[in-house]
Amino acid sequence: MTIIETRAGTHSAAHARAVTKAYGEGEARVLALDDVSVDIESGRFTAIMGPSGSGKSTLLHVLAGLDRPTSGEVYIGDTEISGMTDKQLTLLRRDKIGFIFQSFNLLPTLTAQENIVLPLKIAGRKPDPLWVQSIVETVGLGPRLKHKPAELSGGQQQRVAAARALASKPAIVFADEPTGALDSKSGADLLGFLQHAVKELDQTVVMVTHDPVAACYADRVVFLTDGDVVDEMLSPSSDEVLEHMKHLGA
Amino acid sequence: MFGATIKGMLAHKLRLFLTATSIALGVAFLAGTLMLNDSMQRAFDDVFGSVNSGTDVAVRAEAGAVKTEDPDDSRPPLPAKVIDVVRGVDGVAVAEGSVRGYALLTDSHGKPIQPQGAPTLGGNLASDPGMRGDITLRTGRAPQRPGEVAIDASSAKNGDLAVGSTTRILFRGAPEKYTVVGTVGYAGEDDLGGSTSAYFDLATAQRVLGKQAVYDSISVKAGDGVSDSTLAKRVDAALPRGMEALTGQAVADEASAAVKKGLGFLSIALEGFAGIALFVGSFIIWNTFSMQVAQRTRELALFRAIGATRRQVMRTILAEAVVLGLVASAIGIVLGLGMAKALSALMTTFGFVLPTASLRIQPSTVLVGFLVGTLVTVVAAVAPARRATRVLPVEALRDAAPTATQFSHTRLGLGLALAAGGVGALLWGLFGSGTPLLIPGGVVGVVFGVTILAPMIVLPMASVIGAPLKGAGVSGELARENAMRNPKRTASTAMALVIGLTMVAAVTVFGSSLKSSFSDVLTSSVKAELYVLTPTPNAEGFSPEVTKVVQGVDGVDVVSASGFGAANFDGKAGSFTSIDPTTADQAFDLGMVDGKAADLKDGGVLVYDKTAKTKGWKVGDVVSTAFPRQGSAALRIDGMYDDKGFVNADYVISLGTHDKYVPDRLESTDMVVVDNGADVDAVEQRIDDALATHPDATVMNQQEFEGALGGFIDQLLSLVTVMLLLAVLIALLGIVNTLALSVFERTRELGLLRAVGMTRAQVRAMVRWESVVISVIGALIGAALGIGLGIALTRALADQGIEKVAVPGVQLALYVLAAAVAGVLAAIGPARRASKVDVLRAVVTE
Repeated sequence: MTIIETRAGTHSAAHARAVTKAYGEGEARVLALDDVSVDIESGRFTAIMGPSGSGKSTLLHVLAGLDRPTSGEVYIGDTEISGMTDKQLTLLRRDKIGFIFQSFNLLPTLTAQENIVLPLKIAGRKPDPLWVQSIVETVGLGPRLKHKPAELSGGQQQRVAAARALASKPAIVFADEPTGALDSKSGADLLGFLQHAVKELDQTVVMVTHDPVAACYADRVVFLTDGDVVDEMLSPSSDEVLEHMKHLGA
Repeated sequence: MFGATIKGMLAHKLRLFLTATSIALGVAFLAGTLMLNDSMQRAFDDVFGSVNSGTDVAVRAEAGAVKTEDPDDSRPPLPAKVIDVVRGVDGVAVAEGSVRGYALLTDSHGKPIQPQGAPTLGGNLASDPGMRGDITLRTGRAPQRPGEVAIDASSAKNGDLAVGSTTRILFRGAPEKYTVVGTVGYAGEDDLGGSTSAYFDLATAQRVLGKQAVYDSISVKAGDGVSDSTLAKRVDAALPRGMEALTGQAVADEASAAVKKGLGFLSIALEGFAGIALFVGSFIIWNTFSMQVAQRTRELALFRAIGATRRQVMRTILAEAVVLGLVASAIGIVLGLGMAKALSALMTTFGFVLPTASLRIQPSTVLVGFLVGTLVTVVAAVAPARRATRVLPVEALRDAAPTATQFSHTRLGLGLALAAGGVGALLWGLFGSGTPLLIPGGVVGVVFGVTILAPMIVLPMASVIGAPLKGAGVSGELARENAMRNPKRTASTAMALVIGLTMVAAVTVFGSSLKSSFSDVLTSSVKAELYVLTPTPNAEGFSPEVTKVVQGVDGVDVVSASGFGAANFDGKAGSFTSIDPTTADQAFDLGMVDGKAADLKDGGVLVYDKTAKTKGWKVGDVVSTAFPRQGSAALRIDGMYDDKGFVNADYVISLGTHDKYVPDRLESTDMVVVDNGADVDAVEQRIDDALATHPDATVMNQQEFEGALGGFIDQLLSLVTVMLLLAVLIALLGIVNTLALSVFERTRELGLLRAVGMTRAQVRAMVRWESVVISVIGALIGAALGIGLGIALTRALADQGIEKVAVPGVQLALYVLAAAVAGVLAAIGPARRASKVDVLRAVVTE
């Protein structure tokens, strides 16, 4: 068991305590997460890396309240979420969490603009026009806002998704392989935007990726292997990350 | 490939279930109505076969020139002495005369036993039991002397009468009291196709039915070794002119055919309903199959990728359609049994008792059910199957995105052409000289046209109907978008509802126009304060005795009687009203254009002004007329009238003329004018008291009359509406289908919405609102088409006295509201499913 302590001067946006996630029963039982504890610091860009099957996506889903741990505790801010009902989790996701998935982030019937404010609409809240404006400007979608997703490129779609995730000023944004389906230029744009959101707009982003280049945009990389956190790296470069991954036997 | 077909079908149980249900319901409706129809017809065959089974040869007068619904109505009676001629023919073993006529039985409380639509018959029971055929005494014995009667088993049951009971029987003349001495059955049946029967001894029957010294027919039993047809020929040769002899079987066939013809409207109505149900069913099957195949694009592309040819894929889908069609049709035919029973029960509830002892299933019904169900399914599968075979494997991997909606000019042109052609055919059939077949043809044309145009209409409609939903939050807004994303799908789902609602709305408009026209007539052209009528609109009429009774009541100033009948005028079948010219002017206004009502003499006729103009007739001209029994008459025109409201016929004759040519006629309405200054309510009460011995008539004031007729119209309308609602029900199932499959198709979207914070309740609301939008679109288009159709029908009948057009806005608005509520109900299942989407599985890309 590895415990990674929060460093002085920062506070925790989310943390997991001794989280286990198992699938199946008896002989067929597979441990996706094996007694994981991890802290996600507020106001920072955290990447979770690991080889295929390391449990990194499962960790993200559990932290984000999309999946329930078999045992252990998960907190968003100071709120324990592992015991919450579906309704409580839904409201928590709506008010506190932003999501960027690998693909299919947008409703095909809505324009980019409408997709961006969708979570706010669902919550029945009025968007903060200045905030939304600043996000949209940063993402650089101005002229495409009235378009439907089918008329946008993959990179543009993911940037709309990123803007959507940030529009409600969430406590934390979870991104699951956000560049997985993008070419390197579009990927770099998106990561640049996420980095900017953390540094300039004081947002918190957690991203799962298997791409060392993507990981080096983060302030901190957490490495997972066989369902447990094995190491971490601060202000990484892609070479360092790549090297580290080799050591992990990826 | 076939094994894969079956496996593929079973893999998606919900989809399979929904599709099969829609086919089965369509087939059930079709099979049910066919079974009901068959049973009805067979019941009549049996009844007439059994009644005539004791008669080898029947003798009767030749039919007159006038065709009436009942062929016997157009035959004059035979002089009684003809029987001697018949008895003298070689090979005649027994010959007996028989008469028949109007006799209304009353129950143990003195209330008339009035069948719905069927006649109330009086007659004599053959004295030779061998000649009664399958008419058998269930209890007691045959009537032998005056004061005795045998009645049919149904009347005994309904009227709480048994052997030994006393019943008053109403005739054209004075009512009389009889003792029940026996009850009869007809083979297995308790009555003769719904009618009531009273049997007397021959002399009594002749006296009470006004058939002294005459017979309506003579039944002959053949001696040994003589065939029926030989004997018929021999008797025929011996008869004087104007009489004929034919075999019992021929008479039975004739009678049965006549009743069937009379019931033709019912058969047509039932077949019409079946057609509507099938039409609606086809829409749903079509829709479900299209969506199904679209959703299976990946699976089908995989087939293609591993080397299946287009033909093989096509064959897989068609094989699936055939299997599904056959299985679902089989279920539908079984359900049809229940449907037929339910329909029969429904008709009974609304007062239309159908003679169906037991349901009969003709092989043809089963065949038609299978054929139609399977064929519709296969046809519905062809278009989507063709589309599916064109799918490239690459495309199959893409997510379903809404395609840009572009409509071809061909669609617009074809749709407009069909709709316009349909409207044209409809109007030509209604107002022009076209055959009546153009009417349903035109309706079908309009429906097809609108179906083709519908995807273009639904987009703006969904946009407008959904506009208020924007206020209902994000669920409403997304629902509106969803309803608009695939206009073809929304349109064909809504169209299923359109068809049923068009019919319901048309019937509603027609019915309220009818009521409104009627009350208009009562207020504008009638001057009498009270009416004497039969207690139910189904009765044939009441005895002229009633008029005499009412005339004697204190406070009654004038009683103006009227009758109704059919005759040929100038060689064309028509109907007439008979009035009392001396009192008519005081009771109602005929709107005389030429002459006065009082000018009408016996042997004269008043003609509807329009008809007279068309024919070029003037006062003094002679109209050659043929009455059913007594043959032809030359009626002199005494005047023209313009107000058809009350008389409701093109010709008016005097009661005297009516009596002369139809001696056993009944009265249809007495108009009562009370003394000046008399209390109308008190007079009504006194008439009511005086009619205590005449339950075949009842007194009503204007309001009660309006209410009674309105009630009867409402009853008819509700029956039709309830039957049409079954079609609406099938349409709702279609909405359930579409929603369920849409939810399945949008799993990932729903997951995304849930991930970004949409609660289950919000998801349910979204599906619900989409359903409401689709239902309301269907209801609005249906209401609009129905109003048009209803107005067209009403205008076409303006000449028949339906002069007002009334569109009952509130009622139609209620239908639309009901459709919205039904939409909410239809969404329950799909909405639950949508709210239970597994968020993780929906958003994670494998």
